[in-house]
Amino acid sequence: MKGLHRLCFIALFLLAFLVAGVLFALIFRLSFKELLDSISSQEVLFALRLSLLTSFGAIIIALILGLPSGYLLARRSFRGKAILDTLLDVPLVMTPLVAGVGLLFLFGQTFLGRHLARVGINFIFSPWGAVLAQAFIAAPIIARSGKSAFEEVSPRYEWAAQTLGLKPFQTFFLVTLPMARQGILSGVVLAWARAIGEFGATLMVAGATRMKTETLPIAVFLNISSGELGIALSCALILIAVGFIILLILKQIGNNHRHGLPMKGIQ
Amino acid sequence: MAVISLVNVRNMILKDITFEINEGEIFALVGPSGAGKTTLLQVLAGLEPYKGKIFSDEGSLDSVPPYKRRMGYLFQDLLLFPHLTVEGNLTIAMGREIKGKEQKRKKALELLEVVGIALLSKRYPDELSGGEKQRVALARALASSPGILLLDEPFSSLDFRIARYLRLEFKRLQKLLGFTALFVTHNLQEAQELADRIGVLKDGRLVQVMKPEDLWLKGDLGGESFLEQPNILYIHNQRATRNGLIEVEWAGLKFFIPDEGKPFDRVAISPGDIFISTLEPPGPQVNRFNGKIKKITETGGMALINLEVGNENIDVEITIEYLRTLNLSVGDHVCGILKLRALHGC
Repeated sequence: MKGLHRLCFIALFLLAFLVAGVLFALIFRLSFKELLDSISSQEVLFALRLSLLTSFGAIIIALILGLPSGYLLARRSFRGKAILDTLLDVPLVMTPLVAGVGLLFLFGQTFLGRHLARVGINFIFSPWGAVLAQAFIAAPIIARSGKSAFEEVSPRYEWAAQTLGLKPFQTFFLVTLPMARQGILSGVVLAWARAIGEFGATLMVAGATRMKTETLPIAVFLNISSGELGIALSCALILIAVGFIILLILKQIGNNHRHGLPMKGIQ
Repeated sequence: MAVISLVNVRNMILKDITFEINEGEIFALVGPSGAGKTTLLQVLAGLEPYKGKIFSDEGSLDSVPPYKRRMGYLFQDLLLFPHLTVEGNLTIAMGREIKGKEQKRKKALELLEVVGIALLSKRYPDELSGGEKQRVALARALASSPGILLLDEPFSSLDFRIARYLRLEFKRLQKLLGFTALFVTHNLQEAQELADRIGVLKDGRLVQVMKPEDLWLKGDLGGESFLEQPNILYIHNQRATRNGLIEVEWAGLKFFIPDEGKPFDRVAISPGDIFISTLEPPGPQVNRFNGKIKKITETGGMALINLEVGNENIDVEITIEYLRTLNLSVGDHVCGILKLRALHGC
């Protein structure tokens, strides 16, 4: 056993070295002053603001579409459910670049795209495209986590609520949703992480136009391409910080779930 | 006046159920497992599809959704909302007729006071004992101001002492608040203690409706699936005494039973109403017997002991604790007493 453990320890050390090496390479590439100057530059601030706005917009759309889908899949049996269920998983395994191409073809110069453009909703090469691309990636994650979370809540609680006089919508918002919120919250955090870091699909739909459709990942891409290392690294570090915070939140949710804490406190 | 009437109610499990429950009445539904007791409650609450007619004093309920039926349902597994405090579990059940958070809070505290747990209002369900949860569930069912209370095996998951205490509490509350209730149980003693009328459900059919005092008079109680099937003693001779008792003979022994003014040829007694001990107990030498233990069955904190008395058999129910105290095992001899008031001629 000792020999095996030694080999595992070497593998763990190499892996940790690689991860830490990448982080340090990014962090210590620039001096602290250069980093501060870049972070406070207009372009980085624009990318940060656009990323936050588009990702929150995408999460709202993903919640509106994903939660009811997850609830229905958890509660009802119907013809074609297995196909629909599998279909929702496709964006999770699809290369984002390919997803972007699909979105471009669907919402580009097609009947649907032209009609939406006529009422002022133009996704192609606009910030709305970034929202669409991110929502496309985020919604199935929320639907999937929502389905699992709703399945954990016995439908008998909904029966109990109804016999107490709660209407179906009241039952959903006052009983089912709060009881499933742990799983849903984990899904939302994960979906937001995917949305804010989304690159391939956004590039295809929204394009990469400086100070227009420049989210943080697009900013990294544009500035690395043009040799502006400071801005590229600033954006990359912000993304790493966001990722780190998300991991911390997920861990906290996991801990609370084990101790049954966040189930409480809703009045 | 009938609060609820069922006319030919049927579905996959129930078969042409027709009966009514009167205002202020406690109606018990007894029957073996799988008889359709819970299904009938769910049908009444609108949670299961059915054919036939159900009426309340406000008219037909057949197309009324569960949230408008005004039926408080105390589920067997209670289903307290874990994300809400005790108070929150009650206020969520209060409709628009009670306006404002403060009014709802006040009403919730009043109800919790009635069931004796007002001090626990800020606790969460997982911080309560089994008996406390039961009280919260009862208070919550009452908080929705139901026309009728439906209770599904309300005391079955509790320790027998707490269950007995809560049964008394339930009776007190019913007298205090005057609610109408339909409860299902497979515990005959519970039905007899609480109900004004008892219905026997068997294979989805309501085979009998009777008064609690007639419970032992009816033989068709659904077979051996009941938890507390009464002992039926086939007696040989009977003689009226001058003091309101009848002397009967069973297993070669003489016993006294209360004279209920009805003819009978059998005597019923619940296994829980027979006292046994390893030593001769003190007190008057009436209704005593000696028996040999043939079988001991342990279930849910209780032990069912089958005794051989003369050429006859009788079942006795005692707690597991008492069984351990007496250190009883098969083949042991015990002294027994049949409680006089628990003996019924049938």
